[in-house]
Amino acid sequence: MNLKRKLALSDISGFALASVLVLTIFNVILQNSLLTQNSAGNALLALSSHEGVANAVTTVVVYFRGFDTLGEIAVLFIASLGIGLILENPHAKQGKKEESNFMLKTAAKLLFPIILLFGIYIMVYGHLSPGGGFQGGVIIASGVLLLLISSNNFHMPHKLIAILETFAGISYVFIGLIGLLLLDTFLGNFLPHDISQMGMLFSGGIIPIIYIIVGIKVGSEMSFIVQNLLQRGEHD
Amino acid sequence: MIEIILSYLNQDIVIQKIVLIGSMSLLLIGLFGLLTQRHIIKVFMSVAIMESSLFLFFIGSTFNKNFTAPILGDGHVDFIHMNDPIPHAMILTAIVIGMAVLALGISFAIEYFKLTSITDIDRMNEMKN
Repeated sequence: MNLKRKLALSDISGFALASVLVLTIFNVILQNSLLTQNSAGNALLALSSHEGVANAVTTVVVYFRGFDTLGEIAVLFIASLGIGLILENPHAKQGKKEESNFMLKTAAKLLFPIILLFGIYIMVYGHLSPGGGFQGGVIIASGVLLLLISSNNFHMPHKLIAILETFAGISYVFIGLIGLLLLDTFLGNFLPHDISQMGMLFSGGIIPIIYIIVGIKVGSEMSFIVQNLLQRGEHD
Repeated sequence: MIEIILSYLNQDIVIQKIVLIGSMSLLLIGLFGLLTQRHIIKVFMSVAIMESSLFLFFIGSTFNKNFTAPILGDGHVDFIHMNDPIPHAMILTAIVIGMAVLALGISFAIEYFKLTSITDIDRMNEMKN
């Protein structure tokens, strides 16, 4: 009885929501105008050329919205903290109960260094090519996931991960504060960023350094989240 | 005949409408799953599908076939005729936040299942009275 009423209510509300969405979509489809590039994007593209970074998305994420990225990393840190608080079990055994098969173990041993190298490459070249700290960090965490599911006695270096994460978070704020002292803006670009160097590995001042820091932080936090979600409880 | 169809489909406005229709149908699929499924992991999956439809819509709505990605190199020396970098940066943020929130929600579901062995969201009524 109760369940039936709830289902009917959800059906009606779903139908109403869907019809509103469909009407909006028809309205947008029928009007014959192009969603053109807005002026804010053009202004940011014009400003990007002063920072000496070839990838304009990196400039927007790390430089123009650098404070926002700091907040985003804080959100990621709080989420991983919550996951650790809920799922952390010091008495649980790592890995699976049964032995992994031979192919998985060999492939994990072969592939992990390559995945690690690829993640570091994506991180370091984030200001020159598509990619950056977030993507590279997630690639490194996927390598850690491969190690975790392949081996029974792989222990996560918790100390090392905590030290890396703390170092990355502190140095992000520290670099921002140095910019505040020297150039009167938080995350000011105080290192040399010559436009003639654009496209080189050492270019863009603090922007590649901050993206590498973001990569270290995201990689360690993602590895921590993955390890906690894979953890085996006592009764299974 | 097929050239006429292809040249019609190759207009910017048609491509944007296709992206709009596709992403909104993905949103409706996610909404359908959210309203009909009772397993909590499936509810989280529906939310993730709805999120990805919005990512697709934001990236696709600034698509312009004469513009390139906002990255210099391969002969591009100036930031002109390039796509808007703002949706890319915003969606980068949204993907990371969405992933973190999804992982936190799934960890809550795992812990709830460990304590009560319930996955049905209709039976999660400890706080009801």
